[in-house]
Amino acid sequence: MSKRITIDPITRIEGHLRIDVEVDQGKVQKAWASSTMFRGIERILLGRDPREAWLFTQRFCGVCTTVHALASVRAVEDALDLEIPLNAQYIRNLILIAHALHDHVVHFYQLSALDWVDVTQVLKADPKKASSIAESLSDWTDNSEKQMAAVKQRVAGLVGSGQLGPFAHGYWGHPAMKLPPEINLIAVSHYLQALEYQRYSNQVVAMLGGKTPHIQNVAVGGVANAINLGSEAALNVDRLFQMKSLLEKIVSFVQNVYVPDVCAIAGLYPDWFSYGAGVTNYLSVPDLPLDGKSTQFELPGGFIPNGDLAKLVPITGQKDETWRRAVTEDSAHAWYKGGGPLHPWKGETDPEPTEWDEEKKYSWVKAPRYNGQPAQVGPLANVLVGYAQGNPLMKKWTDAALDKISAIAHVKATPAMLHSTLGRHGARAIRAAVLSELALKQWQLLTDNILKGDTTIYNKPEFPKGTIEGVGFHEAPRGVLSHWVVVEDGTIKNYQAVVPTTWNASPRDTSGTLGPYESSLLQNPVADPEHPLEVLRTIHSFDPCMACAVHTFDPSGRNIAKVKVL
Amino acid sequence: MKTAIYGIGNILLGDDGVGPAVVRYLSSNYTLPPDTTLEDLGTPSLDLPAYLAGYDRVIFIDAVALDAPPGTVRVFSRDEITSVPTGIRVSPHEPTINDALIVLDFAGTAPRDVVLVGVVPETLEGGMRLSARVAGAVEGAGEVVRSEVARRTCGNRINRPTTDL
Repeated sequence: MSKRITIDPITRIEGHLRIDVEVDQGKVQKAWASSTMFRGIERILLGRDPREAWLFTQRFCGVCTTVHALASVRAVEDALDLEIPLNAQYIRNLILIAHALHDHVVHFYQLSALDWVDVTQVLKADPKKASSIAESLSDWTDNSEKQMAAVKQRVAGLVGSGQLGPFAHGYWGHPAMKLPPEINLIAVSHYLQALEYQRYSNQVVAMLGGKTPHIQNVAVGGVANAINLGSEAALNVDRLFQMKSLLEKIVSFVQNVYVPDVCAIAGLYPDWFSYGAGVTNYLSVPDLPLDGKSTQFELPGGFIPNGDLAKLVPITGQKDETWRRAVTEDSAHAWYKGGGPLHPWKGETDPEPTEWDEEKKYSWVKAPRYNGQPAQVGPLANVLVGYAQGNPLMKKWTDAALDKISAIAHVKATPAMLHSTLGRHGARAIRAAVLSELALKQWQLLTDNILKGDTTIYNKPEFPKGTIEGVGFHEAPRGVLSHWVVVEDGTIKNYQAVVPTTWNASPRDTSGTLGPYESSLLQNPVADPEHPLEVLRTIHSFDPCMACAVHTFDPSGRNIAKVKVL
Repeated sequence: MKTAIYGIGNILLGDDGVGPAVVRYLSSNYTLPPDTTLEDLGTPSLDLPAYLAGYDRVIFIDAVALDAPPGTVRVFSRDEITSVPTGIRVSPHEPTINDALIVLDFAGTAPRDVVLVGVVPETLEGGMRLSARVAGAVEGAGEVVRSEVARRTCGNRINRPTTDL
């Protein structure tokens, strides 16, 4: 007999995502993803000056402030066809990379690792063995037996106190937990180190952005970072080199700790390469622009239909006509008036809540579609789109990760296996490694350009009479983010943010086609309906951030994952 | 001893922005003592631990969902914060403050002295204005923060000129 499981909310951060699944014979047969909060914060922007929109949009989400700031200025610059100085591109790129590296590392160690790592098993670990395993995985120097023993003692203290502290939410002792004790110990040890590296990324963002959170250096037309090699108050040689040394620390952590840990854990759960594929249409946008007009990019974009890398259609930039036409949002199953797909420039946000009804309307998230089809966004889409186009860094790090996984799993890991729950984690680590190399490259580009004598940072925007439309996109840590703006006589007439989690948490559309979360859960195993760890594994692999997709809070403050089994 | 004063909340969501509003009140009326940071952190969620490490004491200002009239100001101790959700029902950032402290307690780098100055909101609907009752509580909450700072520095700040926090 089938069982109905409701998990509400599911994320460990500001979760407003509800998942309903029907389980029969140990597998998920039906799934619904819904958001329980109203989305409509864009309405605050109507009638405002487009030059200041970014100050408000970076408050959409507490986790991804910078990405909304950048997408917003890009949208207005696109509407104006405004070129920006090279220094501004490089400075923005460095901020985006530092933020992404921070975000990927935090997601893995603080949110997702707990789905795979059993902290209570640490007590059975041999620190000496853990140290030698860790040293065989990478050249990282902070893996000594002494350090492992200290972490084990720290965990023992926690377990002994009867409180599991930060790990209290985990499903300890669940039959789906399979790592050897030493790998659990290595993961907890690196979890603690990750807290320190998280700060370095923030410091880079603050050096360029003036402060963090909520950077202050962005402007429509460029940035507001005064560049003067001889001035204490400006971006100077000292600061550039301080930034470089922080970047080098982050790069080393990503390449020597995060990537090997993900590969080791993935290699020890090989069956999770066969669950969770879901929607295999992948959408990714080009990013890290290399010229003032944003026509050349460090990382390519494109759309892959049905997981077929050979059929990739590239997206060349924000001016790409297919991209500009292809995005729509459908409200057939979302609590808004109307239903039919609307382009974001024509987008409406008129709430019409009803009861949760799986046949009719059941979510506050609209259903974004690309040429009428659902699309998965995020690091996996980014990596596959880069890999399919032969991007050298994406190829290098994908092949390196697959080799590492193959060595641990004793099976040949292939790119096809990436269409899965673990593939999303692997791709996030691959993307982080690629970005870590690009961090140093962007730093060099900025430094060289400044040393050449170019100190320009800003081109003044001029708003014409009449109506103009623009789109700003960004390949954010959780995937494609796009801000769509309509400006009339210099004021904002319409503004829609189509955020990554909206793509992935999409409900069904007019034709009944499932969104990526929903589709990825089908055929997931569920050993124990009271403890649906496997459902969490697949959903967390997308790195859900509903605080971003949906912007109001539950005043009762209920933030503990509730599982209801019927 | 390093002190941080952090306003938490989303300024786009009505009274949820009260924490940042108190930070603005303090920064426009007072100068800071040495070794003191005053910042509107927005809704930092998982980023919060990164802003706590290295401080000896932290004073948070946040909207708190209590069964009390809007605009009520109440101070919560560190123990009360870390015992959430039992007992106190607080806004969604609140478990985040709690989580951040628990994470850093485990890492051994948590600030020891932590208080939360909570203000009960009236509405969390989208919008950039505080409700009248919560707007009226901003100054009082700011003064509570001042006295918490003063109490922690043996009272030697409380009699300073009004431009001194």
